[in-house]
Amino acid sequence: MSSWRQALFERARRCLHGGDVSAAFLQWTVCAAGQRIGRFAVRVLAAIVLFAAFAAPSQALAHATLVTTEPGDGAVLAQSPAQFSLTFSEPVSPLVLTLVRPDGTPVSLTSFRLNGQTVEIDNPQTLESGTHVLSWRVISADGHPVGGSVLYSIGAPSAAPVVSEAVDRGLRSAIWIGKVFLYVGLFLGVGGAFAIAWLAQGGRSGQRFVIAAILCGLVAAPLSLGFQGLDALGAPLARLARPGVWQAGLGTSFGWTALVALVALGLGLLSLVGPRGGAKLFALAGLASVGAALAASGHASAAEPQWLTRPMVFLHGAGIAFWTGALAPLGLAMRRKPVEAAPFLRRFSQAILPVVAVLAATGIVLAVIQVQAPAALLETAYGRLLLVKLALLFFLFTLAATNRWKLTGPAGAGETEVQRRLARSIGIEMLIVLAIFGVAAGWRFTPPPRALAIAAVQPASVHIHTPKAMADLSITPGHVGPVAASIIIMTGDFGPLDAEQVTLVLSKPDSGIEPIKRAATKRGDGTWRVDDLVVPVPGRWTARLDILVSDFEIVKIQAPIDIRP
Amino acid sequence: MNSCLLSAGAFFVLGTSAAFAHVTLETQEAAVGSTYKAVLRVPHGCEGKATTAVRVQIPEGVISVKPMPKPGWTLQVKKGRYEKSYQLHGQAVTSGAREVDWSGGSLPDEFYDEFVFRGTLAADLPAGQTLYFPVVQECDGAAERWIEIPAAGQDEDALEYPAPGLKLSPKK
Repeated sequence: MSSWRQALFERARRCLHGGDVSAAFLQWTVCAAGQRIGRFAVRVLAAIVLFAAFAAPSQALAHATLVTTEPGDGAVLAQSPAQFSLTFSEPVSPLVLTLVRPDGTPVSLTSFRLNGQTVEIDNPQTLESGTHVLSWRVISADGHPVGGSVLYSIGAPSAAPVVSEAVDRGLRSAIWIGKVFLYVGLFLGVGGAFAIAWLAQGGRSGQRFVIAAILCGLVAAPLSLGFQGLDALGAPLARLARPGVWQAGLGTSFGWTALVALVALGLGLLSLVGPRGGAKLFALAGLASVGAALAASGHASAAEPQWLTRPMVFLHGAGIAFWTGALAPLGLAMRRKPVEAAPFLRRFSQAILPVVAVLAATGIVLAVIQVQAPAALLETAYGRLLLVKLALLFFLFTLAATNRWKLTGPAGAGETEVQRRLARSIGIEMLIVLAIFGVAAGWRFTPPPRALAIAAVQPASVHIHTPKAMADLSITPGHVGPVAASIIIMTGDFGPLDAEQVTLVLSKPDSGIEPIKRAATKRGDGTWRVDDLVVPVPGRWTARLDILVSDFEIVKIQAPIDIRP
Repeated sequence: MNSCLLSAGAFFVLGTSAAFAHVTLETQEAAVGSTYKAVLRVPHGCEGKATTAVRVQIPEGVISVKPMPKPGWTLQVKKGRYEKSYQLHGQAVTSGAREVDWSGGSLPDEFYDEFVFRGTLAADLPAGQTLYFPVVQECDGAAERWIEIPAAGQDEDALEYPAPGLKLSPKK
C-alpha cells in the first residue's frame, strides 16, 4: 500500500470517529504532495464528467404512498388472479416485487408494466389456495425506496406467511456515514476551496485540510451511491460489488446527487491545484454544483411546490458551503499567519451576514413546508431531529455572533490574543457544524411530517366487481371521523350504469354498531357522493352498495374496506 | 278478564304483524299452465305514511294479465312485447301487460288492503322454480321497493325487501 493510500485510510478512520477529530481538526494534514494530487484531480474530473454524461440516471419522480390495490388488500378470491395492480399517489418505479406463497417460498415477479401511477404486475402462475403476500418495494421521487406488502387469499385465508422488512442496521450506518462524509466533502471541501479562492486573497492556509475533505467526499459520493442501491433493492451490504446494485442506485434520484456531487468535488479540487487563472471560476462553479447536488434529491427537494423547494435547497446548500467551508481556512490562517488572516477575516465577516440571512430564510421555508404543524416537531422523528438541529444551530449562531461582533474587530486590528481566541472558537464552530451534518444525515431515515400527512389523508378505497355491476368506492380521508364517500358505478362489463339511486351501507357486526345507511347524491360528473358520514371505529368494515338500476331492479354489491385509526 | 283477553288479542295481532311486514302474494304456489289469481297483500305504508300507489312488474311467462279495478284507485296497465311467443288456447300471444299500476288512492298505514290481478302461467314455465313479482309501494315522498330477488343459493329471509314470489308446481 502506498503512503498516500495509507494516509487516506487513516483519514477515513478519523472521519468515522468524529469525536477523535476534535483537537486535530485544524491541523489536519495531507501527506501526499499537492502537485501529484493536482494532476490526479484533473484526470478524475475528466472521468467524472464523462461518466456523468453517459450514465445520467433516469428522470426523478416524486414521493409516493400506496393508495389502492387490485385485488384489494385482504381480498379472498375464488380463483388465481391473472394480474395484480398497485396504484400509488404518484408515479413510481418498482425495484423488487415478490409473491410469497402460503408455505413461505418467494416467487420473484419480473413481468410488470407502468401505467401512470399504477404498476400492473403479471401473475406468472396459478396460485394454490391459501394466503399469499405480495411484497413490493418501489422508488419514489425523493430517491428513497418505500416498501410494503398486500395480502391475498385464494379460496379461504390461511395463516399469512412471514415476510419481514428487517432494518439492516449495518447498511443504515453505512448510508449515514456515507452522507456525513459527503457533507464534509461538499461543504468543508468544496466550500473551503471557494473560501481560499475568493476570500483568502492569495493565502493558502487550510489548503491541505480542504483537499483532504474533498478526497473524503470523492470516496463517499460513489460509495453512497452503492449504499443507496443496496437500500433500494433491500439487499445486504455484502452485495455491494454487484453491478445491479449500482445500477439501482444510479436509477434513484440520489444518482443525480452523487454525480453532481462528484462534479462539485472535482471542480473544488481543480480550483485548488489546477491552473491559477481559473481558480475563482472553478470554485464558483463548484459551490453552485454543491447546491445543485443537494437539490437533486432528498425529502426537501421532493416536496411540493418544486419551483420553490428546489431553489431553496440549492441556496441553502450553497450557503452552508460558503459558511462552513470558510471556517477551517480562516481558523488555520488566524493561527499560523495572523497578518495574512486579517483581510481574509474582513472579507468573510462582510459577506457572512447576507449568507446567514439566506440560510435562515431558506431553512425556515423548507421547515415550514416539511413540518406543517408545530405539533409534528415533537410527535415525529423528523420533527425531533429538526429540534436537535435547531438547538445545535442556536449554539452555532451564538458562537458565530460573538465571533462576528466581539472578536472580529480586535482580531482584524492584529491583537494576537484575540486572534487565538477566535481561532479556538472557530474550531468549536467546526465541531458543531459536524454534529449538524450528522443530524441532517439522519433525516435520510425519517419521512417528513409533510409526507406523513399526505399518507394520512389518503382515501380508503375498494373496487367491487360483480357480473351485474362494479363500483369504485373511496372513503376520504381513510381514517375514523368525519369522512366523505365517493362512488363510481359501472356495469359488470365496464359500460355506463345510469342508476336511479345508490345507497351506501357500512357495517361492522363485530363492533356492535348498527349498519350506517346513507343515500348517495349524484354529482354532475357522474359520481355519487355521501357527505354526512362519520366512521366511528377503525378496522375492517363491510361496504355495501345498493344500486337501483331501474324501477324494479336493484343490485347489491359489497366488499370489505379497511379504515385506519 | 276482558282486559286480559284484549291484551292477548293485541299480542296476537302485533306478534303476527311481523310475518305480514312484507308485501306478499296470498297464494304462493301454483301449477304451470293454470290460471292464477294474484292477490298482493299490502300490510302497511312506508315508514308510517299512507300508501298512494302500488306498481307490480309482471314477470316473463305470466300472460294474458287482467287487473281487478279498485274503487278510489286509478288503474293503469303498461303493455309491451314478451320476450317470446306463448301459446294460449291454440293462439300465439306475443304481447300483453308488463306492469300494472294502482295509483291515486290512499291506504293509511294502520289499514290493510289487497290488490288483485289475474293471469295465465304459460305452460312452458319451468316447474319447481319461483317467479318473482317485483312491487314498488309508493307513499307521499317515500317508497318501499319490494324488488329484491335472492341470488342462487341465497336465503330469501336474508333479504330486506324481498319481491313477492310464486313457486311453480308441475302441470296438473
